[in-house]
Amino acid sequence: MTSFTTFYLSGIIGKEAFGADGDAIGIIKDLLINTVPSGQNDPNSQLVIGVKLKIGKETGYYSFNSFRVVKAREMLNVACSSLLELKKSEIDNGMLLVENILDKQIVDLNGRKLVRVNDVRMVTLATGTFVIAVDIGIDGLLRRIGITMPIKRVLSLFKISIPTKYILWDDVQAIDFSNLNIKLSKSYAKLHTLHPSDLADILEDLGKKSSTSVFSALDEEKAADVLEELEIRAQIHIIESLPVDKVADVLEKMPADEVADILDELEDDKAELLLNEMEAESSQEVRELLEYEDDLVGSIMTTDYMSFSGTKTVEDVLKELRLRKPEPAELYNLFVTEKDEKLIGTFTLRDLVVAEPGTEINQIMKSEPVSLYDDQKTSAIAEIVSKYNLLAVPVIDQEDQLQGMVVVDDVVEDLMSERRTKKRK
Amino acid sequence: MTGVRINRKNIFRKLAVFFMILGPGIITGSVDNDAGGITTYSLAGAQYGYGLIWTLIPSFVVLLVIQEMNARMGIVTGKGLADLIRENAGIKITFLIFLGLLFSGIGNTTTEFAGVAGSMEVFGVSKYLSVPVVTFLVWILVVKGTYKIAERIFLVFSLSLLTYVVSAIMGKPDWHMIGTSIIHPKVEVTTKSMAMVIGLVGTTIAPWMQFYMQSTVIEKGLKMKNYNYTVADIIVGCVITVVVAFFIMVACAATLHPNGIQINEAKDAAMALKPFAGNLASQVFAFGLFIASIFSATILPLATAFFVCEAFGFEAGIDKKWDEAKEFYVLYTGILIISAGIILIPKAPLIPISLWSQVINGILLPVVLVSMMILINKKKIMGTYVNGKITNFIGWGSVVILVALSAALLILPLLSR
Repeated sequence: MTSFTTFYLSGIIGKEAFGADGDAIGIIKDLLINTVPSGQNDPNSQLVIGVKLKIGKETGYYSFNSFRVVKAREMLNVACSSLLELKKSEIDNGMLLVENILDKQIVDLNGRKLVRVNDVRMVTLATGTFVIAVDIGIDGLLRRIGITMPIKRVLSLFKISIPTKYILWDDVQAIDFSNLNIKLSKSYAKLHTLHPSDLADILEDLGKKSSTSVFSALDEEKAADVLEELEIRAQIHIIESLPVDKVADVLEKMPADEVADILDELEDDKAELLLNEMEAESSQEVRELLEYEDDLVGSIMTTDYMSFSGTKTVEDVLKELRLRKPEPAELYNLFVTEKDEKLIGTFTLRDLVVAEPGTEINQIMKSEPVSLYDDQKTSAIAEIVSKYNLLAVPVIDQEDQLQGMVVVDDVVEDLMSERRTKKRK
Repeated sequence: MTGVRINRKNIFRKLAVFFMILGPGIITGSVDNDAGGITTYSLAGAQYGYGLIWTLIPSFVVLLVIQEMNARMGIVTGKGLADLIRENAGIKITFLIFLGLLFSGIGNTTTEFAGVAGSMEVFGVSKYLSVPVVTFLVWILVVKGTYKIAERIFLVFSLSLLTYVVSAIMGKPDWHMIGTSIIHPKVEVTTKSMAMVIGLVGTTIAPWMQFYMQSTVIEKGLKMKNYNYTVADIIVGCVITVVVAFFIMVACAATLHPNGIQINEAKDAAMALKPFAGNLASQVFAFGLFIASIFSATILPLATAFFVCEAFGFEAGIDKKWDEAKEFYVLYTGILIISAGIILIPKAPLIPISLWSQVINGILLPVVLVSMMILINKKKIMGTYVNGKITNFIGWGSVVILVALSAALLILPLLSR
């Protein structure tokens, strides 16, 4: 007897399992695999733990330990030594291959996109039966339809082979857990390795139910990053389908200008509800931004910026930066203010790094900085950004008080579309 | 402060919502009146006069019910019909449906190019010039990604379909007779008239439209909150479809039928209108046909390629690069080239081709509808938005009637031989 047998899921579904005496026991309807890994790269995470069997008219879940898949003369046989019914908790912690994987969309973690599963490649070893990979190629499609042989024969005349495409089980994440009472945050663990932008793209492609359940399984920081990257339509869907307190927690982690943009698109009642649920400090900032008209600089500026007094030393500033651990965008440009928050200069991280620790900021700052007024039209931004090559432009009001800054990340799309329309003209 | 600002925005927002949602139904309704449709309505008008106009009423009801179901499924699940069928119906049924959809897509696109060729011939342009040029333009339009803009332009142009109203009135129809024939339909039961009825219903409710409707609903990101707008949009779309169909039939019935002129193509109708309704009516008719043909020739291959890819899990979408979505672009380009190629073959068997694509449509429609009815009644998919009793009654009723009609379409030609 060979030590291992590889096979496809489609090869054994709908087949009869045979008992030790050679009698048929029941029809294999589905396989249950372990979804709660004990740690990273735990081989048991792909272990088949159970089988859904139809015996007579009854369907039940049984332990797969006593089952073996063997290949004899190109024929797959499923042999069963004894029937052991699974406990409810074991079923709830598992995932069904036909129900949740086959024909469904799953995330390809390396390709960072959704793919559709045509078949599942499996292996039986001495230690048990495991899932190796999912088949997403045309080959798998033809095999399922049952026309592989004739097509292969025709194509071989032209010396064309059908491409096969597999993704290792470790590199995929199942999405559709709709009918199980699994703890979602654990089930979607693999998704945390993805970049927020990629995750956002995937959420946009998912159905409504799945996108909500994947999103709610993310922790607040990640959720905030992903929400920021979503298209407005998907943002609204997510916000409207989650409880208000949960959404408010996520919004608090986002920059105020992004929150204002989203709330602008929501209905007034809903926006008000969310603002009230958010912490007073965060919601106040958002409310201020919401007061600006859409085409004014104030509406797209961020209020997350860093300003210092000119008498501070380089050392002091670096210390404070270490303490506050600002987001990358906050470091694009650093500001110097007098009393009343009046803007008198700017300096960059580079100025800071190359200066001696004891130097006062007054000495290294650029005075009379380029700035925008909060009630200026947004169309003015493009010129300033490109003329002075700035990553972030300070925004002041008519009294020269610093109100926020416009970050290039937030305007780059507008800049590109403006250039395109100009070109067309 | 905040309140004032938001209120002012509200009016604009309501308008925006209205325009955003006034979309899927109207777009689908406009695409529905394609070259195939115009041809069938012209033939019906020329052969049976006002006699078959009554068929538009049941067509309207069925179209409305089906599109409402599509919209509801799209809103609730956020998934395309192809996705839902693949995930719930198993791979073999999916394969058969999409094989059928692919063939009917090619057949229907061929009809669209026949429309392009025919309408341009009315203006004296040879098909060997018009078809390659239009094919190339359509291909560029889609591959270069300016399709969304194009869709808007087409939508505006599709208003030109209303020129059929002009054509019809120029033909001085007998309104009294139209009224009588709608209220007291006289159904002559012959194999030929039955085939025409089947053709009329089949061209009004084409299977690929169901997929198209649902994906447009998803693309617009509609929500259950906007459901009433959506239904209004669908009603407007269905009314457009039926009104345009009505006037085409009237135009041909008023001018061609009393003079006993038989036609084979929509182009013939445009030509034949000339002596009775004037040169202008004829050109207006041809222009409408031309626009409708290009509109559908753009959307049909694109939609067909997209749905096939969606069902089988290939990357699809015009925002993807060629290398990322090879299967999609190959399919799209293939459908376009095959369809245009068939038209360019001298003495191409156009009538059998349009007949066969109608037959495939006829078989496909009940299969798609049954899948839809099963999907929309599943609590697991639709939650509380499963069909109500009345919708189910009309839905299954339509399935039964359509199956009967399609069966008749398949059996009648055999009997008449």
